[in-house]
This record gives sequence, structure tokens and C-alpha cells, in this order.
Amino acid sequence: MSDATRDPRPSAGAASMSAGAALADADTHRSAPPRPALQRAMRWFRQVGWRYLVVAVALFFALFPAVWVASAAFNPTGSIAGQQLIPDPVSTVNFDVLFATPFWRWFANSMIVAGVTAIGSTFLCALAAYVYSRMRFTGRRVSMLGLLILQMLPQFLAIIALYLLMISIARYFPTIGLNSLAGLIAIYLGGALGLNTWLMKGFFDTVPRDLDESAKVDGASHVQVFFTMVLPLAAPILAVVTLLSFIVAINDFIVQSVLLTDEQQFTLAVGLFRFIAEDYGARWGPFAAGALLAGAPIVVLFLFLQRYIASGLIQGAVKG
Amino acid sequence: MSTTTSPPDTELHGSASGGTGVDARLRTGEHPLSRVADSLSGLLVKLVLVAAFNALGIFMLVRMASLDAPWYGLVMTLVTTIALNVIYLGKRNLPLKYLIPGTLFLLVFQAWPFVYTFFIAFTNYSTGQILTQDQAIERIEQLSVTTLPDAPRFDAVPFADGDDLALLLSDQQGQEFLGVPDDGLVPLQELEVVRDADQVVEVEGYERLSLGAAQDRIDELTEMRVPIEAGEVQLVSLTTATLREQTRFYDPETDRLIDEATGTTYVASERGRFVSEDGTETLTPGWRVVVGWENFAEVFTNEAIRGPFGRVLVWTYAFAFLSTFLTFAVGLGIAITLNDARVKGRKFYRLAMIIPYALPTFMTALIWRGMMNRSFGVLNDMLGVAVPWLNDPNWARFSVVLVNLWFGFPYMFLICTAALQSIPDDVYEAASIDGAGGWQRFHGITLPLLLIATAPVLVATFAFNFNNFNVVYLLTGGNPPIVGAATPAGHTDILISYTYRIAFESGGGQNFGLGATVAILTFVLVAVMAVLSFRWIRPLEEINE
Repeated sequence: MSDATRDPRPSAGAASMSAGAALADADTHRSAPPRPALQRAMRWFRQVGWRYLVVAVALFFALFPAVWVASAAFNPTGSIAGQQLIPDPVSTVNFDVLFATPFWRWFANSMIVAGVTAIGSTFLCALAAYVYSRMRFTGRRVSMLGLLILQMLPQFLAIIALYLLMISIARYFPTIGLNSLAGLIAIYLGGALGLNTWLMKGFFDTVPRDLDESAKVDGASHVQVFFTMVLPLAAPILAVVTLLSFIVAINDFIVQSVLLTDEQQFTLAVGLFRFIAEDYGARWGPFAAGALLAGAPIVVLFLFLQRYIASGLIQGAVKG
Repeated sequence: MSTTTSPPDTELHGSASGGTGVDARLRTGEHPLSRVADSLSGLLVKLVLVAAFNALGIFMLVRMASLDAPWYGLVMTLVTTIALNVIYLGKRNLPLKYLIPGTLFLLVFQAWPFVYTFFIAFTNYSTGQILTQDQAIERIEQLSVTTLPDAPRFDAVPFADGDDLALLLSDQQGQEFLGVPDDGLVPLQELEVVRDADQVVEVEGYERLSLGAAQDRIDELTEMRVPIEAGEVQLVSLTTATLREQTRFYDPETDRLIDEATGTTYVASERGRFVSEDGTETLTPGWRVVVGWENFAEVFTNEAIRGPFGRVLVWTYAFAFLSTFLTFAVGLGIAITLNDARVKGRKFYRLAMIIPYALPTFMTALIWRGMMNRSFGVLNDMLGVAVPWLNDPNWARFSVVLVNLWFGFPYMFLICTAALQSIPDDVYEAASIDGAGGWQRFHGITLPLLLIATAPVLVATFAFNFNNFNVVYLLTGGNPPIVGAATPAGHTDILISYTYRIAFESGGGQNFGLGATVAILTFVLVAVMAVLSFRWIRPLEEINE
């Protein structure tokens, strides 16, 4: 287990190690006049070197669980006890156990729900942001403020009412009621308008209005201006909102766990939770395998779109 | 909603919109006819869409009507469909055309659930009290259908026409009937009968089943009920059937339920149950009734609820505050550390630090739960200790905050990095000319500027953590439990997980009424917070532009 404590400090950190040693060295020879090289090293450490130490600790804290799960996924014992950081031998037995569950079904369900939600809510949001940015009408101010207040009251606070609502919808329209992915998507679309609308409206405001005016002079309708001019120019913000909505939908647990009752309809969140909650000790390995498979694509997506995300975050978007 | 400065709605008459447009098109060499085609296809798309949602509306109305939906459901659907037609076919209301799609979802799946939660909070909606009174009566009457000791018996022969089953029944007087599940009993004389040596072999297309064939369909046959006036006829063996009668009847005039077999009268109680007149017997199921402020009174006066609720409330604020403060402090600390051009590989560190943020929280919370397992978890194993991370109240609180710090610090790190980079360098230069040291620069310049820039984010983070269900529920499940609580409640529960557990995990079943009450109290707290924090939220200033 001591392997786990080994510091995954990046190579640059080695410099700080030697600096630290030099520091200790300096302590033991306090009486001797400091040599210039040592002085330089100390100054470097005070100004720059310690930063690498902080980063090393932060990276260790940030990455350890991810590394640990990746290792658990390939460990031959699927149990939570007796894990080693370096699996010996590397085994895929956990994946076999995992694939005996409807894991890929859950994976597909999650992707469908989050994908449709992301695209749908971005579109609904863009429609609203367009009028807020381009038109002035009675009720504009009130409805925009209303959206801000709604944003503070998350939808799932009304989880009981949502559950009962979906039960009564299921009585007449089973395809969008309780235990349906379509119903889940509909609920998420109910939360589409909110802070994201503000975010998008702010971006639309930066698209020069002269562009639409001249298009209108050319006889373009407001619909054409929206689809052929504003939307393409606002692509970066559309990407941010789509990604954030996707993440919110993937991450939600409370609504999905209440709404989805049939194993074939489960999403990753509900499926993996039920799977491991039944037997925490023995199913740790297969769960880790599932977490690795589900998490990897999302991390990759994040790393690719990192620049966009950062810009969206700064404007106040919070991951749900 | 009237438009004041909106552009004219040109989609229906784009080609007729004026000479300037023609000139422009001539200049660009575009053929005028292509504009006509554009607006025609636009009109076509619009008409198809309107027709589609009208078809949907009509389908919904027919379906709901055929299933006896409540009248308000039908009215809402009808009004919505008509309103959509008026808005989209009319030339006014341009902003509404864009706002309606999102708003419609918002009204049905966000606004209405909030309103409905208020309603539920004033009822005793819970397991055993789920139905309306009419549904409960119907259910009780159905459940009371039973075979009385002196019930008449029939000789029965199963018949079948493909999938459809029927029974040839003869009563004690020797009268013969055909019993069909949908039609009830019909005297045999009135039907077309084929006999073979006195034995009936076919009636109205139904053919006699051999004993073996009947045996094969025994499940279907025993489930079959032939309705008759006095009750229903059910097979008790392959050759005999018996009459089952409804014994309990509702009398709408006195609002009582009478059991004709025992002679007992049941009175509808205020609690939504039928109780026998002597008060000894209660019938299930009950129905939901409005109980007024009772749920609120429970929360504030019943010690077994008030105690845990108070603890949960305090912890919710503490958790949200600690989470926000610590993630900000750590994120800022790392951001400042890395905000130095002499540090190499900064891009890489930023990229790596985003990983906890990118991983889905439902997964990482469960991973931490495994790592913090007292007996087998890697944390205890690695540190060589036996810390009850998730089992002791204080340790569990510490763990929840620690894990939430792990979730949240990368986000704050990114935010603070961006905010730091937006502080102009000359501010610092001026400060160092004035002789300000490192701490003074941080305290006097960096922090105030940063707080202004990140205030909306901090408020949003606090509000988010106030209802951070995933971390609490998936890491500890709210546990360890609070001893003596009347409902499921734990030392790490926050209001939203507490609500969820009351509503869906109560020992005696689901308690929606009380859960909704806690949800309402949470609404109020969040709304107060929202109002107080409004002045910090920057976008507000843009609204008047």
C-alpha cells in the first residue's frame, strides 16, 4: 500500500526536492557563511520553488481518486479490500462482471438523455435570448428577473410534485410519463431557461445589430436573421451552454432515481448507484471499471473544450 | 405583450417588403424570385409545425377524454392549443413566438411543480392516502367483491373463440347461459347453438374446449370474470363457477359505506379513511385530504421532527458556507501560486486540475465513499489508521466537506485564475512604488478586486451547495442517523436530502405531505437568500439598457 503514498510530483518538482535538501543542509551549517550557489537556490525556492510544492500537493489531491479508480478497475480482486495501486496481474475480470449488467444500455440512456437535453435546452435558450437581446417589449424586464429567481430555486426542490406529476402523466401518456427517458428530458427542458439565457443574451448583445439591420434591408425575415446570422456568429456560447447542459443532465441523480424504475430505463447515475449500493464490498472492482468507461469520454470532452468551458464558468455558470 | 420597437414581422410578406430590398438584391445579383421561394418555404414550414402541434393537441384531448381525465387537464390542453394557434398564426406577439417554447416547458415542469408542492404540503398525501376519495371508494368496493357462504353455484363448461374465452353456465334451476367477460350472461335460447348428441359444442362461434385444452389455459380461465347484476361469476374449478358479490356499497347522500354482509356502517373521517361507527375498524385504502397547517405544526412542535429539522437546517447553512469558503480559499491559493510566469508547465497543471470537475459527481462521490470505507477503504489503509470517516457524526461532516472541497476547488481555481489575469499589472507596480509588501498587495489590492469580480460566482456557489444533493446523499446517504428522529434524518443530511428521504424513504412508506412541507420551508429560505444576494449579481445592471 505504501506504493500509493509515492508522490506523483511532476519532473519539475525534482528541482524543488533538491532545493529542499539544500535548505536542510543550510540549517545544519548555519554558522558557516552562505555560499553564493546556496543563496541563489534559496532565493529561487522562496520565489518560485515552493510553488511547485503547492502544485504537487494540489495535483495529488485532485488526481488521486481518479488514479485509484483506474487501478481498481484492472485489479484482479473485485473486492474493495486488499487493493494495490499497481494491479498485479493486470486483469479485465471486473469488466466481464460489469458487462453482465445492462451497463451499455445505461450508458446509451445517459447519452441520449444528456444529448437531447443539451441540444434542446440550448435551442430553447437561444430563442429566448434572441428576443431579449434584439427586441424591447412589455414584460421583458420582469420576465428576465423572473428567470434569475427561478435559477436560484432548483427544479429538484419540487421533486415530490414532479414525481406525482409524472405518475398522472403516465396514466394518459405512458411514453412521456414515469419511467420514460422522454419524460426525463421534458423535465430537464423545463429548466432550460435561466442563468444560461442571460449568458447567451449577453453574447448575442455583442453581435453587432447592424448586421441584422442590413440583412433585414435585404428582405430577410427575423427567423432568417436568427438562424443564418445570429446563431452561427454565437457558436462559441452555444458550445458552452450545450456542454454545460449536457454535464448537468449527466450529473443529475435525484430526478433520475425517482423517475426511472425499470432497469432497462436506468441511466448511468441510477444504474451504477443501484449496482454498487447492493453490495459495496464485492462490486467495487466492476464499479470502478464502469466509472472508468463512463468518466473517460467526459473527461476527454472537457479537455478538448476546456477553453470554452473556462470562459463560460467565469460568467457564472455552475455545474449542477 | 406588445412590441414597441420590434422589427416588422416580415415572414409572411418578405417579398413585398419594399423597394430597397429589391435594389439590394439587384445589386447582389440575387434573383427576386428566390426571396419569394424563401418566404413560401418559410410559410410552409410554419404551417406544418402548427398543424403538427394541433394534431398533437387533438390527440391529447381525445386520449385524455377517453380515459376520464379531470376536466381541468382537458381545459388546460385546449387553452394551450388555442393560444399557440393564436400566437403563431397571428402577426403580432413576435417576442412571444420565441419565448413560448421554453416557457411552455418551464410552466409545466418547473412552475407547476412548485405550485403543486404548496398544495401537497397542506394535505396528508402519503402511503395509504394516495388516491382521491372517489378512487378510494371505487377501490374499496372492488376489494369487497367476495364469495359469500351461501353464494349460488353454476355448472360451467369453458368455451373459446380463438383468444376470447366464454363459459357455458347452468344454474341450479337448470337454466343455461353463455357468460362472456364483456357482455355478461345471455340466456342460451337467444343464441345460435350447435349441438352434437345433446352436448353443446358451439355457441355464437365459441367452441367447446376439451378438458386438456382448458387445463392449458387454466390461468386465463380463473382470472376471467363474467359481470352480472349482482356481482360477477368466476370459475372455481374447471367444471364449477360461483357468484362473487360486492358486499360494500357507498351511499353518496350520507357519505357512508355500508357492508351488506356484516351490516357494518363506515363513516368517512376527516383524516381520509372510512371508519366503522364504533371506531374499531378502518378500511384501506384511504384518500388524501387537506389537513391545513398540520404538517407545518408537526415540523415546529413535534420534538421528534423539530429536533432533527433544526440540526439539518443549521448543518445546511454550515455545509454551504464551509464548502464555498474552503473551495474559494484553496482555489484562490493555488491560482495565486501558479500566477507567476516563472513557473513552468502552467498549462498542463490547469488542464490536470480540471479533471475532478469534469468527472460526473455521482461517480466520484461513490468512489470517495469506497475510499473512505472504515474497514477496507484506501485512506485508512494508506495512512495506517482506523478513522470512522463516514460513521462518526463529526468525521462524517468533515468528510462531506472534504469531498466537496475536492469537487469544487478546481472550479474556483479556474475562476480565480481568470480574475487574477484581468487585474492590470500597473496597479501592482504603483503599489510597490508606494512600498507595499506582498501581504499588503494581496490584502489591499488582489483580494478586494477579486471579491468584486467573483461575488456572483460565490453567491451562485453558495446557493448550489445549499442544495448539493449528490455529494451528501451519495457519500453518506445523510448518515450517521440522528437518534430519536421520527423520520429518516442523519447528521450530514442537508434540507434537500432530508426532504427526499422523508418523501421516498420513510419507514412506513412515502410521506409526501411532510416532505413537501420541508421543501416549502427550503423554498422560502432560498428565496430570501436570492433576494438578499440580488445586488451582487452583476447581470442585473445590464437589464435596463
